[in-house]
Amino acid sequence: MANLTLEHLDKIYDNKVQAVYDFNLDVKDGELIVFVGPSGCGKSTTLRMVAGLEDISSGKLLLDGKDITTMPAKDRDMAMVFQNYALYGHMTVYENMAFSLTLRKEDPNVIHKKVLAAAEILNLTTQLNKKPSQLSGGQRQRVAMGRAIVRTPKVFLFDEPLSNLDAKLRGSTRREILLLHKRLKATMLYVTHDQTEALTLADRIVCMSMGHVQQVGTPLELYDNPANLFVASFIGLPPMNFFDVKVCGDLLQGDGFSVGLDDVQKRTLAAHQGKVIVLGVRPEDFVEGGDIPVKVMTNENLGMNTLVHGHVSDDQGNHDRITCKFRGWCNYRNGDIAKVAAKRMHFFDKETTVAIKEGN
Amino acid sequence: MKKRNDPVTVDRMRYIKNKFSSNLCYLALLFDVFFFVLLYRQDRSTYYYSILIGASILYNLVFLLAGFLASEGVKTYNEKFSYLLIVLGAIQFIRIFIYPMRAHTTTIQISGVDQIVMSTSVFLRCVVYLVLSGVCCLVSAFVGLQRSRTLKAYMATLGEEKRRD
Repeated sequence: MANLTLEHLDKIYDNKVQAVYDFNLDVKDGELIVFVGPSGCGKSTTLRMVAGLEDISSGKLLLDGKDITTMPAKDRDMAMVFQNYALYGHMTVYENMAFSLTLRKEDPNVIHKKVLAAAEILNLTTQLNKKPSQLSGGQRQRVAMGRAIVRTPKVFLFDEPLSNLDAKLRGSTRREILLLHKRLKATMLYVTHDQTEALTLADRIVCMSMGHVQQVGTPLELYDNPANLFVASFIGLPPMNFFDVKVCGDLLQGDGFSVGLDDVQKRTLAAHQGKVIVLGVRPEDFVEGGDIPVKVMTNENLGMNTLVHGHVSDDQGNHDRITCKFRGWCNYRNGDIAKVAAKRMHFFDKETTVAIKEGN
Repeated sequence: MKKRNDPVTVDRMRYIKNKFSSNLCYLALLFDVFFFVLLYRQDRSTYYYSILIGASILYNLVFLLAGFLASEGVKTYNEKFSYLLIVLGAIQFIRIFIYPMRAHTTTIQISGVDQIVMSTSVFLRCVVYLVLSGVCCLVSAFVGLQRSRTLKAYMATLGEEKRRD
């Protein structure tokens, strides 16, 4: 059992730069939490505070109810997997995996059993006599994971473990991490800047920006109901399209287009009548055959889907860039006008950037 | 106390190198170095020395090279290098009777006075170093031999010998 609680964590460096502001999170036993956000948003700093590699400036860190805020890293019963593997080049895979247990002076035969079990889980049994330099990037990262597994820690911490791998290997290693989590049922904290990793791996995602937590929720919650403009723009690939629109009765009036509102949307925007808000539409929520005229700039066929990049313009020359993702193969040419409709829309307050939901 | 032949211990040998034998082998080299440093510090400027010192230097070079190779060999449970270590160990014992012994029992005239080529204290230290070097070689060899045979038998039962090679 490993329930981890982060209460009002702050990180202020000696030069007074604050990297993390009031971070609160309750991680349940066996949960896989992914911290996601752009570079410099404080996600790795938070993970390092949990690991004990960074001092916590203020706040509390509880593991199974026990305060471990000031406990040294070695006593926290957590194992960390780094982006650069951090393997010993002169040791074999077996020795690398056994190293931490050897330092603890555990019985060699017990170490042996643990290493073999971990190697079996990670499909490394045939690689145990090799040195890290003889392994591929994915295998090296599996060794790093194996080194963490043999310790049977309460919490696993992953700091961008897939960032050094090429795209293909990243996909397969990501699936292995997911299988590992299902198999070990361990509590895991995972840091990444890649939203695809976050969406595919996480039980819950913590989306961060500039040291602040923007939203905590399941991948679907963040995708379907982003709390603010930042989350909406960060989650989803290609990112969401945004348009400044004015709420005019049953219509949203944008630059060169207008969109009708249904009853639910009217109720949601009732308090914003006559105001300018931000309309967000995901590229995959556009369908061909509507009233919005998109002047096509590029047409990218991806096989299953086509990405159409273009813009919508009004008579005054104002225009908004737009990306649509259509199912199947399309053959728009530069300058063509594609008529599209938005089947799903998100609304955001222009000043506060917070999502406008029914009732607020 | 763990049994040397219990299955887990033997299985561990598939992944753990024979550092005991290897380190003993390095120890043997170290004692040999002590031996020849002590020997070459003797400066009697005799014909006796000039002939045998050359041969001794050559053999020491061979011993250091072969000993180093053997230490790497036994580390990976290679039986052949255990046999090499037995030979090297045996030669260390034989060397006692070739060099320090003969130097100790030979006298030369310096300024008209008969003197022993090698003093008793130096002779005894040389003998100790050679014996220690030889013992280290032999223990390393026999431990290596026993372990490599155990592993070989175990691998045969697993049918994995080819994979390991």
